[in-house]
Amino acid sequence: MTDGPARIYKTQSGIPLKASYSAKDIPDWYKADVDISPGQLPYQRGAFSEGYRSKAWRIFQLSGFGKPEDENERIKFLLAQGETGFLMEHDRNTADHMYNVDHPEVLARKEDVGLTGAVMQSVRDMDICLKDLPIETTFGHAGGAVVQHAPFALAGYWTIAKRRGIDLSKLPGTGQSDFFLTYLGCVTKQQIPTAAGLRFNADIIEFCDQHLPRWVPVSIAGYNGADTGLNAYQELGSLFANAVEYLDEIKRRGTIPIESAAKACGGVSFRLSMDIFEEASKIRAARRMWSDLLERRYGITNTKVRQLRVHCVTSGSNMTYQQPMNNIVRGTVMALAGILGGIQSLGVSGYDEALSIPSEHAHQMSLRIQQVLQHETNIVAVTDPLGGSYYVESLTADLIERSWAFFDQIEAQGGFLETLNTGWLHAQAHENQLDDFALQGTGEKIIVGVNDFREDISPFEIDGFRGVNDAFDVATERLADLRRTRAERPAADALKALERACKGTDNIMPVMMEALAADVTVGEIGDIWRNVYGDWATPEITI
Amino acid sequence: MKNSATILMAKTGLDGHWRGATLVCRALTDAGFDVVLKGMATTDEIVKAATDNKIDLLGISIGGHIDVAERAIIEARKIRPDLPVFVGGVVPPWAKRKLEAMGVEVYPPGSQLKDITDSASRLTGFTPSPKLPTP
Repeated sequence: MTDGPARIYKTQSGIPLKASYSAKDIPDWYKADVDISPGQLPYQRGAFSEGYRSKAWRIFQLSGFGKPEDENERIKFLLAQGETGFLMEHDRNTADHMYNVDHPEVLARKEDVGLTGAVMQSVRDMDICLKDLPIETTFGHAGGAVVQHAPFALAGYWTIAKRRGIDLSKLPGTGQSDFFLTYLGCVTKQQIPTAAGLRFNADIIEFCDQHLPRWVPVSIAGYNGADTGLNAYQELGSLFANAVEYLDEIKRRGTIPIESAAKACGGVSFRLSMDIFEEASKIRAARRMWSDLLERRYGITNTKVRQLRVHCVTSGSNMTYQQPMNNIVRGTVMALAGILGGIQSLGVSGYDEALSIPSEHAHQMSLRIQQVLQHETNIVAVTDPLGGSYYVESLTADLIERSWAFFDQIEAQGGFLETLNTGWLHAQAHENQLDDFALQGTGEKIIVGVNDFREDISPFEIDGFRGVNDAFDVATERLADLRRTRAERPAADALKALERACKGTDNIMPVMMEALAADVTVGEIGDIWRNVYGDWATPEITI
Repeated sequence: MKNSATILMAKTGLDGHWRGATLVCRALTDAGFDVVLKGMATTDEIVKAATDNKIDLLGISIGGHIDVAERAIIEARKIRPDLPVFVGGVVPPWAKRKLEAMGVEVYPPGSQLKDITDSASRLTGFTPSPKLPTP
């Protein structure tokens, strides 16, 4: 065997690695922090001193397809199997674009309707989806991951809670409303410009501060950036660059205290990938960065507000089509990375992720992975088990430095939203993807079952979940039924009031609540968005 | 021997997962093919664009239901029966079998870019000389 060039070891994001680490590798500026206990500022060792002893991470799986009743059934299945929060996924054709099912763009691909989320055109549909679910006590995700859809999804969920006699001030949950999702990761055909989206999110933050203090109003999802190609430190840097857009806007408005806005923005999500130590270090780095950011940029001294709460999802794009059972191992490894980093909430992607949305069994396996880790490994006993590791501490410090450098690059270009508008952030993600694929092509990066070890004797046939085939037809009937039976006057009045609010500067959420209560549909609200705000000028990166 | 080949690339779904499709477009362009981007398109729009005789190969990124892509392929072939087609994306095994039975090449997640560019050569009868990488 001839000697090739020496292999260069790097983290997944390209940070060069030594063969071993010692105290000398921990930079001076960081040294003193290594001995600070979890629950103490600046929190890289954990936001809470008792870690999982005081509260186990939330088992929180994305779910949804078909008709609202199909989604309801799946959520009930997951809760019965031990899930400790639940997520509603809305149909992407109708929700993401704010179309009713009879919009020409939807009619042209009606078989897609309900494929990856339930069709919910009005509060009536959401009520079916939430039937018999204990929303007053369970942390629920109302959907509304997409910025322009969030006001609709949230107002719908809250309207149902009110009708069920639940005091909104006690209602737990979230709705995400994330820019990374459709302005970077899955760019939709049509959506409001980023400036309008910023206004919506600030409105939601204000409204929750006044009426829903237990609700996480927005949840910035680095996941969606990372699974589009951003590396670990780019994910961190851009996530905090996104957070300052919200915080600066709230500060400019001066309507609520900056501490309240910081608390509102302090529940975020990251992607977990396969580089265990880099990912665990990333979560540690994130907590430290948030605490520092709030103090330095906004002068926030309230320690509780500076505790970052982290939800993670294991990378969908790391799940392979080939030999899908191997993904059970990948899910476990990625979950472990996050838990070692001290996350508060976790979703594990289905082993059939590259084939379809999860089957019931794949969903159950995602829960079982988490339950095995929670109950059989003793991992919940000790907080920040990697603390003091020369390698992990050095990597945490390195990620912090690189992430702030990336944050500064974004700020120098006019901020996070501007890098979405120009396509700069997309280009960063795209370059990383190309590099990654090139390494797979040459075999420098091995993906088991994909570009090596391809033989498979598995006796399990995994053919992909098929969902249901009546989502479009039922949604069409329900839309017709709603048009026949709703009181037209209140609906028309609510739509007029909403249009006025959009054209002015008043918070849109109170009128959104009225609109949802009056059975206004997602498509009608979408028409207002399109009339008032027009379309985002998509940068030249998507096909 | 052909001296160029044009590939039409389109997405059927409104679901905007562009990660795979953009990588493939870039690989095809870098390999020396001419790529016409149609973006998110309805089946009618895809059929109209694909039946232009300048198109040598139709590529569809499937992020949604298989029936939508299938409809586009059937309609396009009514006008150009010999139009070669390849597809990529989240295509479950049962759908992959169905498309392959129609003579469509299917590249699910995990496919290597080299296999896709080789397929484009085979399907168009054009072997390009790779363009120099842009600095």
